[in-house]
Amino acid sequence: MINAEEKKDKIDSLVRACGVLLRMNKARPDGRKSERMYYEMLANYYTRLQSARDEGKFIAAHTVFFPTEILYAMDIVPMHTETTTWMISLFTGECADLLSAGADLGLAPEICTPHRGLAGAFAIGALPRPDVMLWSNLICDNTAKSGELLMEVNHCPGFFLDHPFQHSEDEKKYLVGELDSMIRFLEEQSGHKMDWDRLAEIVGLIDRQIELFREICELRKAVPSPFHTQGFLELLTIDYLFPGQPEAINYLETLRAELAEKVSSGQGAVSNERFRLMSFFIPPMYLMGFLERISQEYGAVSVTEPFFTYWGEGRLDPSRPLESVAEKSYMIPEMRMYGPLDDRALKSIVSCAEQYKVDGAIYYADVGCRHSCATVKLFKDTLNKIDVPMLTLDCDVVDPTITSEEEMREKLEQFFELLEDR
Amino acid sequence: MLERFCEVNNTFPKTSEILEHKGKSGLVFGWLCTYVPEEIIHAASALPIRITGHRQETELEDGSAYLYVNNCSFSRSCLQMGLRGEYDFLDGVVGGSTCDGARRLFDLWRYYIGMPFHHVLTVPRKYTPEAHTLYYSQVVQFKEHLEEFLGIQITDGKLRQSIELYNESRALLKNLYELRKLDNPLITGAETMEVLDASFRMPKELFNLCLNDLLRDLSNSTPTHQGKARLMVTGSVLTNPDFIKSIEDQGALVVTDELCTSTRYWSDPVVLDGDTPPLQAISQRYLNNFPCARMFPSDERFNRILELARDFRVDGVISQIIRYCVPYAHDLPLLTQRLQAQGIPTLAIDVEYGTSGSGQIQTRVQAFLEMLKVKQR
Repeated sequence: MINAEEKKDKIDSLVRACGVLLRMNKARPDGRKSERMYYEMLANYYTRLQSARDEGKFIAAHTVFFPTEILYAMDIVPMHTETTTWMISLFTGECADLLSAGADLGLAPEICTPHRGLAGAFAIGALPRPDVMLWSNLICDNTAKSGELLMEVNHCPGFFLDHPFQHSEDEKKYLVGELDSMIRFLEEQSGHKMDWDRLAEIVGLIDRQIELFREICELRKAVPSPFHTQGFLELLTIDYLFPGQPEAINYLETLRAELAEKVSSGQGAVSNERFRLMSFFIPPMYLMGFLERISQEYGAVSVTEPFFTYWGEGRLDPSRPLESVAEKSYMIPEMRMYGPLDDRALKSIVSCAEQYKVDGAIYYADVGCRHSCATVKLFKDTLNKIDVPMLTLDCDVVDPTITSEEEMREKLEQFFELLEDR
Repeated sequence: MLERFCEVNNTFPKTSEILEHKGKSGLVFGWLCTYVPEEIIHAASALPIRITGHRQETELEDGSAYLYVNNCSFSRSCLQMGLRGEYDFLDGVVGGSTCDGARRLFDLWRYYIGMPFHHVLTVPRKYTPEAHTLYYSQVVQFKEHLEEFLGIQITDGKLRQSIELYNESRALLKNLYELRKLDNPLITGAETMEVLDASFRMPKELFNLCLNDLLRDLSNSTPTHQGKARLMVTGSVLTNPDFIKSIEDQGALVVTDELCTSTRYWSDPVVLDGDTPPLQAISQRYLNNFPCARMFPSDERFNRILELARDFRVDGVISQIIRYCVPYAHDLPLLTQRLQAQGIPTLAIDVEYGTSGSGQIQTRVQAFLEMLKVKQR
């Protein structure tokens, strides 16, 4: 029998780390208000999880791109497993321990580090034991296959949300049915009834949230671009952890106002913008500080991320909440990478490159991410047709043993030289 | 008769049968995964063949350049053969949303190789009535797309004929597997793999004739195959009989297998009864078929494996998983646990597609057989 160890989890460490980041932001004279709000939200997210754990409230662990809005509408405490594991890895420096615990469960090294790490985190008790495990096939085989082992590790029931591959009416109907079944499962497990009015309200806020994402992206088209190079990760986290939450709207409105002010005053994220970049996939979390520094040093800013921040078209209808939750999942930027990689996906790359006046692109090729890396050449060839060079950086999103800062610096400097020479 | 199958496999993809079919202006469609219903292609009077990679483990420069090194070597091997024109006779490619490797293989095939016809089916991961409804709609769309492309009608009558033909293949393969249940099987695991490989590379009409002949020959033969232990091979796609041979050369009998090129390909027939429309019957069969590791819940697959282990009196299981084959790698801890509960040990081996079984693999198999021997005492 596979068992999770009974020991103190690391959520307290995350709350403390968020508190430190918040204090550091406040101590900086130029600290962004939106950044402060962001860290406050993270601190609150983990404080809520901490309290839920201590008070025995119902906790649902879920994988990435899961419709967390359902959980909020049912007053169930969510725990985003990948994000929480990344943060534990980053803030406590225990990446190797988590991966090793994942290996002890029998997970092969080819399974991506986020999923090996999160399985390990449950096994050694670094993540609190959830009441249910929820997962879907968004956005790869790792997410699709992770849940059953985690159910066994945590001795808890679970629900697998089967997200269809394409976007036909039949498939949307299937997805709505899956969501409905999941709600019934959650009602049964938690004893909490779905609050449909609340879900409708949340859907309305998500619609607003998506509009704000789009407006922020519009502002990033300005030359110089106003948002710092790793800023898109904040946007990602907002969608991952806080869909349709009022504090997310406040954060996004504040950020939009800050960026609008910078645009109107011609102020960029870096003092001398030289290279406008397109980014694919997630940079190594443990090199965030370095990537910000080198961005400033070389005047290189990520201005667009077609598969992370470039939301699909459409609006959500609060009067049809469940259908809207389904529809939203098709609007997520990453969904262009999920279905058949058709001309539409490739056109969005070209369109982003042109609209955002991109000089070059960087593909963070995560060694464990098969479905994304299989697009490296395709994207490179697509961009080459419009004379945009692309740098591929082999790395791992959490494991620092894969790429060093020195290696990353050398490759980035060579790429910036190439861009300079053009 | 086995030579006939070997000849097909040794000359695939450009076998004499395929070239002859093309020579008569026949159409050939390649399929990428066992969730693609072949009967529909056959009922459209076209020849369905399975796209597989290089027969032996080989350098995959092109495959890796296009699909990156962290995709499974099966996908990379298939794509490399496609890029090098080895499948240039195909008129179309049909895939399913089955795993990351398969869907990206389809994406890049479509983009870089290009075919007159492409189709990808959404394949649900569940068996619920709603999942069956969705998959059925996908099967209908596939049929309609094919009809539109070919300018023909695929009638129920044609579908029924194809179903009967394919079911006959399945029944014959079942008979072949029955011979492996004997204490001294009449055919080795490696020889069986030659037959299996040919089963998705030949016109089914011809395959059935050849397999009937082989079964007749085998039934008149004397059992000669003996082994220290009866093994089952599970896991990722496998087409190289030399891999099985390398295990059997250590003194084991590979008596059954759970692979998408073996039992998962042929086990379940399409059930045609009076009332069920043939397309519905096809759809039911393909979604309910002996599952791939992609399906949920995984216990459906595990239970089928345990059933095979009982039926074939298996002493041990060799799980061969191609590097970066995530669905099977994720299932391994739970499958090992389920088998262990039944007293069946598992040897897990990481392989590359096409491997013949290196010295290291042989050493590990030897050690596994020794362990089984000790356990049997």
